[in-house]
Amino acid sequence: MGGSPGGPIDRGQHEVEDWERLADAINAALGGKGLQTTDQHRRAIESLEEYRDLSYYERWVAATEKLLVEKGVLTSDEIDERAASIRRHWGEP
Amino acid sequence: MTFEPGDNVRVLPSEKPGHVRTPGYLKGKAGWIESLVGEFPNPEELAYGFSGKPERPLYRVGFRQADLWDDYEGPAEDCLYADVYEHWLEPGEGAPT
Repeated sequence: MGGSPGGPIDRGQHEVEDWERLADAINAALGGKGLQTTDQHRRAIESLEEYRDLSYYERWVAATEKLLVEKGVLTSDEIDERAASIRRHWGEP
Repeated sequence: MTFEPGDNVRVLPSEKPGHVRTPGYLKGKAGWIESLVGEFPNPEELAYGFSGKPERPLYRVGFRQADLWDDYEGPAEDCLYADVYEHWLEPGEGAPT
């Protein structure tokens, strides 16, 4: 990974999940609105402390949250409250 | 442009912090200029919300796989091509290969 030994590659196909499509769409929408660029997103992904523990789109989501908080578009509290409200309404994933 | 196709180059062994677009496994490695890709805003500054201007030349740089990896077992002619910005390159030694 990144030129460092990363063990064997899992070549199995991965079915794209709905939340992953949504993560991709939100990313494109934020780019379209000028709120986020690919370079900023890459930088945010690289700086995630839990980088190696996250899947590809988990990194995308975590980096997008980080950028939106950094830019003052949303606060962490607002995001946490909304997530809690969705969980109350729809149940645990 | 500082470099021409066929020039030998070396990737700077810099440990510059923050977002860089040069793969870590190429740092300090010798290669050659394959072609000029174009000039682009510097992604290392775009990553932090700056303009990235002035634009920086981006080269396609060739490397021998055997120069990059210890114990490389593939054919000797195997190459790897990577796009590297000019500010990550310095002149290399020897004649073009």
